[in-house]
Amino acid sequence: MMTCGKYKNLIEKYIEGTINDGQLAELKNHAETCESCREQFERCVLLQDVVKQSFSSPMTAKQAGSSIVTRLSEEQNLRLQPARFSTILYSGKRAAIAAGVLLAVGLFLGFALGRVAESSRIPLTAQVPISVGKIEGIVLVKREGSDVWQDLEADSNIYLGDTFHSTAKSACSLKLGDESMLELDQNSMLVLKLYNGQTQFFLEHGECTASLESPHGPFFISTPHGRVEALGTEFTVKVTDE
Amino acid sequence: MADELKQNSGEAVPALVPKASHPRSAGKMPTPRDHQLVRAALVGETSAFGAIVERYWNMVIALALSKITDAAEAEDIAQESFLKAYSQLSSLRDPSRLAGWLSKITMQQCSNSLRRTLQGRRALGYKAIPIEALDEQPAILVNPGLTQNQIQFVRKTIGRLPEKFRTLVIMRFVAELSTVQIAKQLGKRPGTIRVWLHRAYKILRKDLAPLLEEVRS
Repeated sequence: MMTCGKYKNLIEKYIEGTINDGQLAELKNHAETCESCREQFERCVLLQDVVKQSFSSPMTAKQAGSSIVTRLSEEQNLRLQPARFSTILYSGKRAAIAAGVLLAVGLFLGFALGRVAESSRIPLTAQVPISVGKIEGIVLVKREGSDVWQDLEADSNIYLGDTFHSTAKSACSLKLGDESMLELDQNSMLVLKLYNGQTQFFLEHGECTASLESPHGPFFISTPHGRVEALGTEFTVKVTDE
Repeated sequence: MADELKQNSGEAVPALVPKASHPRSAGKMPTPRDHQLVRAALVGETSAFGAIVERYWNMVIALALSKITDAAEAEDIAQESFLKAYSQLSSLRDPSRLAGWLSKITMQQCSNSLRRTLQGRRALGYKAIPIEALDEQPAILVNPGLTQNQIQFVRKTIGRLPEKFRTLVIMRFVAELSTVQIAKQLGKRPGTIRVWLHRAYKILRKDLAPLLEEVRS
Protein backbone atom coordinates (compact mmCIF):
# COMPACT_ATOMS: atom_id res chain seq x y z
CA MET A 1 0.00 0.00 0.00
CA MET A 2 2.98 2.26 0.61
CA THR A 3 3.75 2.31 -3.10
CA CYS A 4 0.17 3.18 -4.17
CA GLY A 5 1.01 6.89 -4.08
CA LYS A 6 3.22 6.37 -7.09
CA TYR A 7 0.41 4.61 -8.98
CA LYS A 8 -2.08 7.28 -8.09
CA ASN A 9 0.28 9.73 -9.79
CA LEU A 10 0.38 7.43 -12.79
CA ILE A 11 -3.43 7.37 -12.87
CA GLU A 12 -3.37 11.17 -12.87
CA LYS A 13 -0.90 11.07 -15.73
CA TYR A 14 -3.20 8.67 -17.54
CA ILE A 15 -6.07 11.13 -17.13
CA GLU A 16 -3.82 13.94 -18.41
CA GLY A 17 -2.62 11.85 -21.35
CA THR A 18 1.01 12.22 -20.38
CA ILE A 19 1.69 8.63 -19.34
CA ASN A 20 4.22 6.70 -21.41
CA ASP A 21 4.03 3.05 -22.50
CA GLY A 22 6.38 1.79 -19.78
CA GLN A 23 4.49 3.61 -17.04
CA LEU A 24 1.19 2.33 -18.39
CA ALA A 25 2.40 -1.27 -18.35
CA GLU A 26 3.66 -0.77 -14.80
CA LEU A 27 0.30 0.66 -13.75
CA LYS A 28 -1.58 -2.24 -15.32
CA ASN A 29 0.65 -4.78 -13.58
CA HIS A 30 0.09 -3.09 -10.25
CA ALA A 31 -3.66 -2.86 -10.86
CA GLU A 32 -3.81 -6.64 -11.18
CA THR A 33 -2.70 -7.06 -7.59
CA CYS A 34 -4.08 -3.90 -5.94
CA GLU A 35 -7.84 -3.75 -5.78
CA SER A 36 -8.03 -0.08 -4.82
CA CYS A 37 -5.84 1.06 -7.73
CA ARG A 38 -7.59 -1.32 -10.13
CA GLU A 39 -10.95 0.11 -9.16
CA GLN A 40 -9.71 3.70 -9.71
CA PHE A 41 -7.97 2.90 -12.95
CA GLU A 42 -10.93 1.00 -14.38
CA ARG A 43 -13.23 3.88 -13.49
CA CYS A 44 -10.92 6.29 -15.37
CA VAL A 45 -10.79 4.07 -18.42
CA LEU A 46 -14.55 3.58 -18.37
CA LEU A 47 -15.30 7.27 -17.94
CA GLN A 48 -13.06 8.21 -20.86
CA ASP A 49 -14.56 5.45 -22.96
CA VAL A 50 -18.12 6.51 -22.15
CA VAL A 51 -17.35 10.14 -23.02
CA LYS A 52 -15.69 9.16 -26.27
CA GLN A 53 -18.52 6.86 -27.28
CA SER A 54 -21.16 9.42 -26.43
CA PHE A 55 -19.63 11.95 -28.77
CA SER A 56 -18.88 9.72 -31.70
CA SER A 57 -20.60 10.35 -34.97
CA PRO A 58 -21.91 7.93 -37.62
CA MET A 59 -19.76 9.81 -40.12
CA THR A 60 -16.16 8.73 -39.68
CA ALA A 61 -13.27 11.17 -39.78
CA LYS A 62 -12.17 9.75 -43.12
CA GLN A 63 -15.63 10.17 -44.63
CA ALA A 64 -15.85 13.69 -43.28
CA GLY A 65 -12.46 14.57 -44.79
CA SER A 66 -13.50 13.24 -48.21
CA SER A 67 -16.86 14.96 -48.01
CA ILE A 68 -15.27 18.34 -47.25
CA VAL A 69 -12.66 17.95 -49.99
CA THR A 70 -15.43 17.11 -52.48
CA ARG A 71 -17.45 20.12 -51.45
CA LEU A 72 -14.40 22.36 -51.72
CA SER A 73 -13.75 21.22 -55.27
CA GLU A 74 -17.41 21.31 -56.35
CA GLU A 75 -18.76 24.44 -54.72
CA GLN A 76 -17.38 27.50 -56.42
CA ASN A 77 -18.19 29.85 -53.58
CA LEU A 78 -15.93 27.96 -51.16
CA ARG A 79 -12.67 29.70 -51.69
CA LEU A 80 -9.79 30.74 -49.53
CA GLN A 81 -10.33 34.34 -48.61
CA PRO A 82 -7.29 36.60 -48.73
CA ALA A 83 -6.06 37.81 -45.37
CA ARG A 84 -8.44 40.49 -44.20
CA PHE A 85 -7.25 44.02 -43.63
CA SER A 86 -8.06 43.76 -39.95
CA THR A 87 -5.94 40.61 -39.76
CA ILE A 88 -3.06 42.34 -41.44
CA LEU A 89 -3.51 45.16 -39.01
CA TYR A 90 -3.60 42.73 -36.12
CA SER A 91 -0.56 40.85 -37.33
CA GLY A 92 1.27 44.16 -37.57
CA LYS A 93 -0.04 45.27 -34.20
CA ARG A 94 3.11 44.43 -32.30
CA ALA A 95 5.27 46.06 -34.94
CA ALA A 96 3.05 49.13 -34.84
CA ILE A 97 3.28 49.35 -31.07
CA ALA A 98 7.05 48.94 -31.24
CA ALA A 99 7.26 51.61 -33.94
CA GLY A 100 5.07 53.91 -31.86
CA VAL A 101 7.26 53.46 -28.80
CA LEU A 102 10.40 54.04 -30.86
CA LEU A 103 8.89 57.14 -32.40
CA ALA A 104 7.92 58.50 -28.99
CA VAL A 105 11.39 57.79 -27.61
CA GLY A 106 12.96 59.33 -30.72
CA LEU A 107 10.84 62.45 -30.44
CA PHE A 108 11.60 62.78 -26.77
CA LEU A 109 15.33 62.30 -27.28
CA GLY A 110 15.34 64.61 -30.28
CA PHE A 111 13.52 67.26 -28.32
CA ALA A 112 15.71 66.86 -25.27
CA LEU A 113 18.94 66.79 -27.29
CA GLY A 114 17.71 69.73 -29.33
CA ARG A 115 17.12 71.66 -26.18
CA VAL A 116 20.55 70.75 -24.88
CA ALA A 117 22.16 71.62 -28.20
CA GLU A 118 20.25 74.88 -28.35
CA SER A 119 21.30 75.73 -24.86
CA SER A 120 24.87 74.80 -25.58
CA ARG A 121 24.93 76.90 -28.73
CA ILE A 122 23.81 80.01 -26.86
CA PRO A 123 25.70 80.37 -23.62
CA LEU A 124 23.67 81.88 -20.87
CA THR A 125 26.15 84.69 -20.52
CA ALA A 126 26.08 85.66 -24.22
CA GLN A 127 25.71 89.32 -25.03
CA VAL A 128 22.30 90.24 -26.40
CA PRO A 129 21.40 93.08 -28.81
CA ILE A 130 19.94 95.19 -26.08
CA SER A 131 21.38 98.50 -25.02
CA VAL A 132 20.77 100.74 -22.09
CA GLY A 133 18.66 103.82 -22.83
CA LYS A 134 17.79 106.33 -20.16
CA ILE A 135 18.78 105.83 -16.51
CA GLU A 136 17.27 107.78 -13.63
CA GLY A 137 18.56 107.38 -10.07
CA ILE A 138 20.38 104.19 -9.19
CA VAL A 139 19.81 101.04 -11.18
CA LEU A 140 21.88 98.00 -10.32
CA VAL A 141 22.80 95.04 -12.47
CA LYS A 142 24.09 91.62 -11.44
CA ARG A 143 25.69 89.24 -13.92
CA GLU A 144 24.82 85.52 -14.05
CA GLY A 145 27.00 83.56 -11.66
CA SER A 146 28.08 86.66 -9.75
CA ASP A 147 26.85 87.91 -6.41
CA VAL A 148 28.08 91.44 -7.00
CA TRP A 149 25.64 94.19 -7.84
CA GLN A 150 27.08 96.91 -10.08
CA ASP A 151 25.73 100.25 -11.17
CA LEU A 152 24.14 100.10 -14.59
CA GLU A 153 25.85 102.54 -16.92
CA ALA A 154 24.57 103.96 -20.17
CA ASP A 155 27.25 102.11 -22.10
CA SER A 156 26.97 98.81 -20.20
CA ASN A 157 26.80 95.69 -22.30
CA ILE A 158 23.77 93.53 -21.63
CA TYR A 159 24.12 89.77 -21.25
CA LEU A 160 21.76 86.87 -20.86
CA GLY A 161 21.31 86.15 -17.20
CA ASP A 162 21.56 89.80 -16.17
CA THR A 163 19.31 90.88 -13.33
CA PHE A 164 18.31 94.56 -13.19
CA HIS A 165 17.21 96.13 -9.97
CA SER A 166 15.85 99.64 -9.90
CA THR A 167 15.96 101.19 -6.44
CA ALA A 168 13.43 103.66 -5.01
CA LYS A 169 12.76 106.65 -7.19
CA SER A 170 14.89 105.16 -9.95
CA ALA A 171 14.08 103.88 -13.43
CA CYS A 172 15.79 102.80 -16.58
CA SER A 173 14.94 101.90 -20.12
CA LEU A 174 16.36 99.12 -22.31
CA LYS A 175 16.42 99.53 -26.07
CA LEU A 176 15.31 96.30 -27.72
CA GLY A 177 15.59 97.49 -31.31
CA ASP A 178 15.23 100.62 -33.36
CA GLU A 179 11.81 101.47 -32.01
CA SER A 180 11.13 99.09 -29.15
CA MET A 181 11.82 99.98 -25.58
CA LEU A 182 11.35 98.39 -22.18
CA GLU A 183 11.11 100.74 -19.21
CA LEU A 184 11.71 99.46 -15.69
CA ASP A 185 9.95 101.42 -13.01
CA GLN A 186 11.25 102.01 -9.47
CA ASN A 187 11.62 99.17 -6.98
CA SER A 188 11.52 96.56 -9.73
CA MET A 189 13.59 93.57 -10.62
CA LEU A 190 13.91 92.20 -14.16
CA VAL A 191 15.91 89.16 -15.26
CA LEU A 192 16.98 88.28 -18.80
CA LYS A 193 16.58 84.55 -19.22
CA LEU A 194 16.96 82.14 -22.08
CA TYR A 195 13.80 80.36 -23.13
CA ASN A 196 13.57 78.24 -26.30
CA GLY A 197 16.58 80.02 -27.76
CA GLN A 198 15.04 83.45 -27.22
CA THR A 199 15.55 86.15 -24.63
CA GLN A 200 12.89 86.03 -22.01
CA PHE A 201 12.08 89.07 -19.87
CA PHE A 202 11.19 87.92 -16.41
CA LEU A 203 9.76 90.56 -14.10
CA GLU A 204 10.30 89.25 -10.60
CA HIS A 205 8.55 92.18 -8.97
CA GLY A 206 7.76 95.82 -9.63
CA GLU A 207 6.52 97.32 -12.84
CA CYS A 208 7.73 97.64 -16.40
CA THR A 209 6.29 99.14 -19.53
CA ALA A 210 7.01 97.94 -23.02
CA SER A 211 6.74 100.25 -26.02
CA LEU A 212 7.02 98.15 -29.14
CA GLU A 213 7.47 99.02 -32.78
CA SER A 214 4.55 98.33 -35.05
CA PRO A 215 4.16 95.71 -36.32
CA HIS A 216 6.08 93.49 -33.95
CA GLY A 217 6.50 89.76 -33.54
CA PRO A 218 5.38 87.83 -30.49
CA PHE A 219 6.58 89.55 -27.36
CA PHE A 220 6.14 88.25 -23.84
CA ILE A 221 6.94 89.38 -20.35
CA SER A 222 7.00 86.56 -17.82
CA THR A 223 6.16 86.99 -14.18
CA PRO A 224 6.01 84.59 -11.24
CA HIS A 225 2.24 84.49 -11.83
CA GLY A 226 2.25 83.85 -15.56
CA ARG A 227 3.27 85.11 -18.95
CA VAL A 228 1.82 88.23 -20.54
CA GLU A 229 1.77 88.68 -24.30
CA ALA A 230 1.86 92.08 -25.93
CA LEU A 231 -1.00 92.44 -28.38
CA GLY A 232 -0.68 96.16 -28.98
CA THR A 233 2.34 98.40 -29.05
CA GLU A 234 2.31 99.59 -25.44
CA PHE A 235 1.59 97.69 -22.29
CA THR A 236 2.49 97.71 -18.65
CA VAL A 237 3.05 94.72 -16.41
CA LYS A 238 2.97 95.10 -12.67
CA VAL A 239 3.90 92.42 -10.14
CA THR A 240 2.97 93.10 -6.55
CA ASP A 241 2.94 90.91 -3.48
CA GLU A 242 -0.82 91.24 -3.08
CA MET B 1 -8.57 -0.81 -25.19
CA ALA B 2 -4.85 -1.41 -25.11
CA ASP B 3 -4.51 0.17 -28.53
CA GLU B 4 -6.46 3.18 -27.40
CA LEU B 5 -4.23 3.56 -24.38
CA LYS B 6 -1.15 3.44 -26.54
CA GLN B 7 -2.45 6.32 -28.63
CA ASN B 8 -2.98 8.25 -25.45
CA SER B 9 0.44 7.78 -24.08
CA GLY B 10 2.85 9.80 -26.16
CA GLU B 11 3.11 13.58 -25.99
CA ALA B 12 5.60 13.68 -28.77
CA VAL B 13 3.33 11.99 -31.27
CA PRO B 14 1.83 14.72 -33.40
CA ALA B 15 -0.77 12.47 -35.01
CA LEU B 16 -4.03 12.92 -33.24
CA VAL B 17 -6.11 10.48 -35.22
CA PRO B 18 -5.65 6.73 -34.95
CA LYS B 19 -2.50 5.87 -36.83
CA ALA B 20 -4.19 3.29 -39.01
CA SER B 21 -6.62 5.87 -40.37
CA HIS B 22 -3.88 8.19 -41.51
CA PRO B 23 -3.08 7.75 -45.18
CA ARG B 24 0.63 8.40 -44.84
CA SER B 25 1.32 6.34 -41.74
CA ALA B 26 1.39 3.04 -43.61
CA GLY B 27 4.33 4.13 -45.75
CA LYS B 28 6.44 5.12 -42.71
CA MET B 29 6.14 8.74 -43.75
CA PRO B 30 6.32 11.22 -40.89
CA THR B 31 2.89 12.53 -39.97
CA PRO B 32 2.62 16.11 -41.17
CA ARG B 33 2.21 18.63 -38.41
CA ASP B 34 -0.67 21.06 -38.25
CA HIS B 35 1.33 24.02 -39.50
CA GLN B 36 2.57 22.02 -42.49
CA LEU B 37 -0.99 21.04 -43.40
CA VAL B 38 -2.19 24.62 -43.00
CA ARG B 39 0.61 25.91 -45.22
CA ALA B 40 -0.19 23.31 -47.88
CA ALA B 41 -3.90 24.09 -47.73
CA LEU B 42 -3.15 27.79 -48.10
CA VAL B 43 -1.37 27.20 -51.38
CA GLY B 44 -4.41 25.36 -52.72
CA GLU B 45 -3.87 21.72 -51.69
CA THR B 46 -7.39 20.80 -50.69
CA SER B 47 -6.23 17.28 -49.76
CA ALA B 48 -4.14 18.87 -46.99
CA PHE B 49 -7.29 20.47 -45.67
CA GLY B 50 -8.95 17.04 -45.95
CA ALA B 51 -6.23 15.71 -43.65
CA ILE B 52 -6.98 18.52 -41.19
CA VAL B 53 -10.65 17.54 -41.24
CA GLU B 54 -9.74 13.88 -40.63
CA ARG B 55 -7.51 14.86 -37.75
CA TYR B 56 -10.00 17.07 -35.97
CA TRP B 57 -13.38 15.74 -37.08
CA ASN B 58 -13.96 13.81 -33.84
CA MET B 59 -13.18 16.87 -31.78
CA VAL B 60 -15.33 19.24 -33.82
CA ILE B 61 -18.35 16.92 -33.99
CA ALA B 62 -18.05 16.29 -30.25
CA LEU B 63 -18.00 20.01 -29.53
CA ALA B 64 -21.07 20.45 -31.70
CA LEU B 65 -22.83 17.52 -30.00
CA SER B 66 -22.09 19.03 -26.60
CA LYS B 67 -24.28 21.98 -27.53
CA ILE B 68 -26.69 20.64 -30.14
CA THR B 69 -29.00 17.74 -29.29
CA ASP B 70 -29.83 16.77 -32.85
CA ALA B 71 -27.02 14.60 -34.28
CA ALA B 72 -27.75 15.48 -37.92
CA GLU B 73 -27.75 19.18 -37.12
CA ALA B 74 -24.52 18.81 -35.16
CA GLU B 75 -22.96 17.08 -38.15
CA ASP B 76 -24.04 19.94 -40.41
CA ILE B 77 -22.58 22.43 -37.97
CA ALA B 78 -19.31 20.49 -37.83
CA GLN B 79 -19.08 20.54 -41.64
CA GLU B 80 -19.99 24.22 -41.81
CA SER B 81 -17.35 24.94 -39.17
CA PHE B 82 -14.68 23.29 -41.30
CA LEU B 83 -15.82 25.15 -44.41
CA LYS B 84 -15.74 28.42 -42.52
CA ALA B 85 -12.30 27.54 -41.19
CA TYR B 86 -11.15 26.85 -44.75
CA SER B 87 -12.36 30.17 -46.07
CA GLN B 88 -10.74 31.99 -43.16
CA LEU B 89 -7.58 29.91 -43.03
CA SER B 90 -5.41 32.84 -44.05
CA SER B 91 -6.50 34.66 -40.90
CA LEU B 92 -5.13 31.91 -38.64
CA ARG B 93 -2.21 33.66 -37.00
CA ASP B 94 -0.56 30.68 -35.33
CA PRO B 95 -1.09 27.40 -37.25
CA SER B 96 0.23 25.40 -34.29
CA ARG B 97 -2.95 26.44 -32.46
CA LEU B 98 -5.20 25.04 -35.15
CA ALA B 99 -7.27 22.86 -32.79
CA GLY B 100 -7.94 25.76 -30.43
CA TRP B 101 -8.95 27.94 -33.38
CA LEU B 102 -11.24 25.26 -34.78
CA SER B 103 -12.89 24.79 -31.40
CA LYS B 104 -13.67 28.51 -31.23
CA ILE B 105 -15.17 28.52 -34.72
CA THR B 106 -17.29 25.47 -33.86
CA MET B 107 -18.60 27.00 -30.65
CA GLN B 108 -19.45 30.17 -32.55
CA GLN B 109 -21.27 28.20 -35.24
CA CYS B 110 -23.21 26.34 -32.53
CA SER B 111 -24.22 29.58 -30.85
CA ASN B 112 -25.40 31.00 -34.19
CA SER B 113 -27.37 27.85 -34.92
CA LEU B 114 -28.94 27.77 -31.46
CA ARG B 115 -29.96 31.41 -31.82
CA ARG B 116 -31.59 30.72 -35.18
CA THR B 117 -33.33 27.59 -33.86
CA LEU B 118 -34.57 29.38 -30.78
CA GLN B 119 -36.00 32.19 -32.87
CA GLY B 120 -37.71 29.67 -35.16
CA ARG B 121 -39.11 27.65 -32.26
CA ARG B 122 -40.40 30.73 -30.53
CA ALA B 123 -42.19 31.68 -33.70
CA LEU B 124 -43.77 28.20 -33.92
CA GLY B 125 -44.47 27.76 -30.17
CA TYR B 126 -42.30 24.60 -30.05
CA LYS B 127 -41.71 22.62 -26.85
CA ALA B 128 -38.56 20.53 -26.29
CA ILE B 129 -38.82 16.73 -25.98
CA PRO B 130 -37.60 15.58 -22.55
CA ILE B 131 -34.73 13.08 -22.49
CA GLU B 132 -36.91 10.52 -20.71
CA ALA B 133 -39.18 10.41 -23.74
CA LEU B 134 -36.36 9.08 -25.91
CA ASP B 135 -36.48 5.35 -26.53
CA GLU B 136 -34.33 2.92 -24.65
CA GLN B 137 -33.22 1.13 -27.80
CA PRO B 138 -29.47 0.87 -28.39
CA ALA B 139 -28.18 3.93 -30.14
CA ILE B 140 -26.64 4.18 -33.56
CA LEU B 141 -24.10 1.53 -34.42
CA VAL B 142 -21.07 3.58 -33.48
CA ASN B 143 -22.12 3.60 -29.83
CA PRO B 144 -22.66 -0.12 -29.26
CA GLY B 145 -22.43 -0.15 -25.49
CA LEU B 146 -24.66 2.79 -24.66
CA THR B 147 -28.36 3.40 -25.11
CA GLN B 148 -29.64 6.60 -26.66
CA ASN B 149 -30.78 7.66 -23.23
CA GLN B 150 -27.34 7.13 -21.71
CA ILE B 151 -25.66 8.97 -24.56
CA GLN B 152 -27.95 11.94 -24.11
CA PHE B 153 -27.27 11.85 -20.38
CA VAL B 154 -23.51 11.99 -20.93
CA ARG B 155 -23.84 14.77 -23.51
CA LYS B 156 -26.09 16.78 -21.25
CA THR B 157 -23.74 16.30 -18.31
CA ILE B 158 -20.78 17.52 -20.33
CA GLY B 159 -22.90 20.25 -21.92
CA ARG B 160 -23.59 21.61 -18.44
CA LEU B 161 -19.89 22.11 -17.74
CA PRO B 162 -18.47 25.62 -18.09
CA GLU B 163 -17.32 26.14 -21.66
CA LYS B 164 -13.60 26.05 -20.83
CA PHE B 165 -14.04 22.68 -19.06
CA ARG B 166 -16.27 21.32 -21.82
CA THR B 167 -13.79 22.16 -24.57
CA LEU B 168 -10.99 20.74 -22.46
CA VAL B 169 -12.79 17.44 -21.75
CA ILE B 170 -13.54 16.98 -25.43
CA MET B 171 -10.03 17.85 -26.51
CA ARG B 172 -8.64 15.42 -23.96
CA PHE B 173 -11.01 12.45 -24.09
CA VAL B 174 -12.37 12.65 -27.63
CA ALA B 175 -9.53 14.24 -29.63
CA GLU B 176 -7.06 12.49 -27.29
CA LEU B 177 -4.76 15.45 -26.94
CA SER B 178 -2.58 15.49 -23.84
CA THR B 179 -2.82 18.35 -21.37
CA VAL B 180 0.50 19.66 -22.73
CA GLN B 181 -0.85 19.73 -26.28
CA ILE B 182 -4.13 21.30 -25.15
CA ALA B 183 -2.23 24.00 -23.27
CA LYS B 184 -0.35 24.84 -26.45
CA GLN B 185 -3.53 24.86 -28.53
CA LEU B 186 -5.38 27.13 -26.13
CA GLY B 187 -2.40 29.33 -25.32
CA LYS B 188 -2.54 28.45 -21.61
CA ARG B 189 0.03 27.11 -19.18
CA PRO B 190 0.09 23.30 -18.82
CA GLY B 191 -0.39 23.67 -15.06
CA THR B 192 -3.61 25.60 -15.60
CA ILE B 193 -4.93 23.00 -18.00
CA ARG B 194 -4.04 20.18 -15.58
CA VAL B 195 -5.93 21.90 -12.78
CA TRP B 196 -8.96 22.54 -15.01
CA LEU B 197 -8.96 18.96 -16.25
CA HIS B 198 -8.89 17.47 -12.77
CA ARG B 199 -11.70 19.78 -11.68
CA ALA B 200 -13.77 18.81 -14.70
CA TYR B 201 -12.93 15.15 -14.15
CA LYS B 202 -14.04 15.35 -10.53
CA ILE B 203 -17.40 16.83 -11.58
CA LEU B 204 -17.88 14.18 -14.25
CA ARG B 205 -16.91 11.33 -11.93
CA LYS B 206 -19.56 12.49 -9.49
CA ASP B 207 -22.30 13.30 -12.00
CA LEU B 208 -21.74 10.22 -14.16
CA ALA B 209 -21.30 7.84 -11.20
CA PRO B 210 -24.78 6.26 -11.51
CA LEU B 211 -24.34 5.78 -15.25
CA LEU B 212 -20.86 4.27 -14.81
CA GLU B 213 -22.25 1.81 -12.27
CA GLU B 214 -25.05 0.94 -14.68
CA VAL B 215 -22.62 0.35 -17.54
CA ARG B 216 -20.25 -1.73 -15.40
CA SER B 217 -23.02 -3.98 -14.21
